[in-house]
Amino acid sequence: MLALKERNNQAFGFLYDHYSGALYSIIKQIIVDNNELASDVLQEVFINIWRKIETYDQTKGRLFTWMLNIARNASIDTLRSKSYQNSQKNQELPDNVYKGVANQIIQQNVDNIGLKKVLETLKPEHRVLVEMAYFKGFTHEEIAEIMSIPLGTVKTRIRNALLQLRQFLK
Amino acid sequence: MNIKEYIESGIIESYVMGLASESERAEFERLCTQYPELVAARRKFEDRLEAYASENAVPPPPEVKVKVLEVVGKESRPVIPSTNPPKIINMENQTQSHSSGTMKFLAAAAVVLLISMVYLYFQTKQENKDLSSANDRLREKVTETDSILKKIVGEQRAINDSNTLVVNMVGTKVAPKSSANVYWDSASSKVYLVVKNMPQLPSDQQYQLWALIDGKPADLGVFDATDQKVILQMKNSRKAQAFAITIEKKGGSPSPTLDKMQSLGKTMLTQ
Repeated sequence: MLALKERNNQAFGFLYDHYSGALYSIIKQIIVDNNELASDVLQEVFINIWRKIETYDQTKGRLFTWMLNIARNASIDTLRSKSYQNSQKNQELPDNVYKGVANQIIQQNVDNIGLKKVLETLKPEHRVLVEMAYFKGFTHEEIAEIMSIPLGTVKTRIRNALLQLRQFLK
Repeated sequence: MNIKEYIESGIIESYVMGLASESERAEFERLCTQYPELVAARRKFEDRLEAYASENAVPPPPEVKVKVLEVVGKESRPVIPSTNPPKIINMENQTQSHSSGTMKFLAAAAVVLLISMVYLYFQTKQENKDLSSANDRLREKVTETDSILKKIVGEQRAINDSNTLVVNMVGTKVAPKSSANVYWDSASSKVYLVVKNMPQLPSDQQYQLWALIDGKPADLGVFDATDQKVILQMKNSRKAQAFAITIEKKGGSPSPTLDKMQSLGKTMLTQ
């Protein structure tokens, strides 16, 4: 029993070594300007993976996909948390927060890593939607409202952008 | 539903990347149980995404691993050692202070009981295994016997059928002793052969049975002398006026070598 637990620990160490870099990369793509916070999120993500590993259902997807989504959700939650919003307050006016996000995305071309690099290959009007949905965690409805475009258009553009993304990953 | 269109709609990417809505997710998961190609396409995208993410990995600060493993180590350590030792010490104290024969006896009895239970467990397990393999062997045997019986019954039925014609094959001048019976079911046009007495042949030769139809020989298959008194099911034949047996090279010939004809029998239809 003890040996099994130890083996599990070792297996988890291996899991960390194998995937921490990829997950840290996605976290940093969402929490762009704060390495310390990104490390904290990575730590929280791996502890969550350890605690929730029994709930992973392999019929629904690969282990990496499951972990990637945990990392993305944790990053977005952090991004939206009050303490983070407060620390960012002096950069944006609350009334203009949404438009601000969109502008920030369009301007934010430097230092892009990972999937964001792929997004550069997309048309700007597609890119901003994927950015908002994937890296900022806005729902399609929220995006439609913020950008003042019909919900159907948002959905179609995101789907098309994702298909282009798939082509790029080939 | 056109699954190909569905796969190409971007839903896979949307699902894998966590951008699909609750109802889209439910539909996707339901379709995954029905269409293996959908699962295959999903896996392909997942693999690509993983490969890309690994290529673009950013090494995290080393202290994160230390902190994570610290928490994991704490949570994985079994709870028993921390709560049990005091109890064990208590028991030791008790045995030392009393050191009564009863305790020793009870301990010995417990050990004996444990050993016998373990023994019993393994014995029962072994017995169970033996019985189950014996059962398997028996089942195989029954299946085998059953198929043999079915074959025999089928052949018997064909031979005894009122449509079946018995053709007595008599030896020719070359082989006066050769004899065999052909049972010809003119309704199903199946031909059975019972070898009564055919001389042994060199290993590169075989007997071949022919049907003579409108004066032309038709191949019905080959057999060996060792097949004696065995019923052979030959190729079907219609409208045969006579049957003949010749010696041919192993595997049979396209046309009979008539000077080696061993045995001939005419059907009643021509008589």
